[in-house]
Amino acid sequence: MKRMWLVGLNTFRESIRKKTLYIILIFALIVIGASKLFSFLTAEEELKMIKDVSFSAIEFFGALIAIFGALYAVSAEIERRTIYTLLTKPIRRSDFVIGKFFGVSMIIFVNFVLAAAFFIGLLIFKKSPPDIQVFKTLLLIFFELILIGSITLALSTFTSDAFNIICSFFLYIVGHLTSYGKELIERMENIVMKGLTDMLYTLVPNYENFNIRDKIVVGLDVSWSYVGWTVLYGILYMCIALYIALYFFEKREV
Amino acid sequence: MRKKGYRYFVIIVILFVGIHLVQIQIDYRKKLENLETALVLLPGQMAGSLVLGGFKGLAADLLWLQMESYWHSGQHYKILPLLEAIAWLQPSYILVWTIGGWHMAYNIYAEVKTEEEKQYWYEQGIKFLKKGLSYPFNANKYDIYFELGWTYYHKGKDYPNAVKYLEKATKYPHPDYVDDVLAHAYEKNGQIDKAIKQWEFVRDNYTAFFDIATRMINDLKTKGKATP
Repeated sequence: MKRMWLVGLNTFRESIRKKTLYIILIFALIVIGASKLFSFLTAEEELKMIKDVSFSAIEFFGALIAIFGALYAVSAEIERRTIYTLLTKPIRRSDFVIGKFFGVSMIIFVNFVLAAAFFIGLLIFKKSPPDIQVFKTLLLIFFELILIGSITLALSTFTSDAFNIICSFFLYIVGHLTSYGKELIERMENIVMKGLTDMLYTLVPNYENFNIRDKIVVGLDVSWSYVGWTVLYGILYMCIALYIALYFFEKREV
Repeated sequence: MRKKGYRYFVIIVILFVGIHLVQIQIDYRKKLENLETALVLLPGQMAGSLVLGGFKGLAADLLWLQMESYWHSGQHYKILPLLEAIAWLQPSYILVWTIGGWHMAYNIYAEVKTEEEKQYWYEQGIKFLKKGLSYPFNANKYDIYFELGWTYYHKGKDYPNAVKYLEKATKYPHPDYVDDVLAHAYEKNGQIDKAIKQWEFVRDNYTAFFDIATRMINDLKTKGKATP
């Protein structure tokens, strides 16, 4: 555990030295701050827009941070050949992969907390302190970001950086559209096709599960039960991503 | 290594089975809590839906800003397609239905010249509000019922329908003025006993309405008429 923690801490320290992540975070804060420009609208409309823009910015820029943070976590070690030194030490490959996951999660967490705190500050400034539904939305966004990071990390153990970026973004887009596919599956009559598409529905990460912001901003309530099941979904999928990462990293000749 | 590979494979398969079961639960809860992302069936709309993915709310906001700009420049008809688009993107955004219905039944109504045209836009407003009610997540809030009740009461002088929708509005958490309008609607609909009862309820529950409610009850009991 200590070894994993050290790898994670090192990954985190390395990442905070990178300017890319700061630039993305600054962009996120600018976008969230810019949502205050809607003050010419009625209070209700303005609040909805502040929430819409902020949730979207936290998620989108958070996804960029997760993808770029996870992308370089393993590949940079291989490229700079520091991994050779590292693996000669009494560190198992599983410690290395799980440690990297912790490190990436820490980067995501810190960036997420900064952006979320800025957003909450904005709501308090607007005399509309966040309710529990806002926190539920933020919690699910956070788990979505960790999941995106873990999938990118898994891909980085067996693909090139360029392919990884394309694949991660592709999954990010497709993962938000799988809910539409569910409706099509329900209408299918061919059992074989239905089975195959149903399997695909399970295999592709369903990021839309984590998207409750469209409902929260218009005043709908989401139960803790839904949040709980979705968090469990995220954790299970993260485990899968980590097992895939472990499998390919152990097979990899470094 | 090969044995370890099989072990990983088995674990991953088991985890995917778990994911499948959890997804069933999530889909069930989505249905139960009206959280489903519905597939809109018109081909053009479906394409838009796919392109926007998880950012439909943001797109609705941009259209709303465009609508504001048309509104302030007096281009009332240009607002209509935007209202439809926002309503499609975010049907649970109740303000789009209430403002849309009001815009048709009041603003465009005031702009057109002939009685036929006025009647047409009044009906369009009502139709738009009822369309908003067809979404289950809007049907358990007072807003659209009240807007319908008010439009029937104030613009259409259709008191039976006004009473019908205002009564529905009071079944859900609502502000005090909803009860006030319902009392007026009862009276206009000829239901004096119910109007008195409603004013008594208003008097006993809302201090801000105490004086007016007392006067209304008195007028209804003595003159049988209170609302001008």
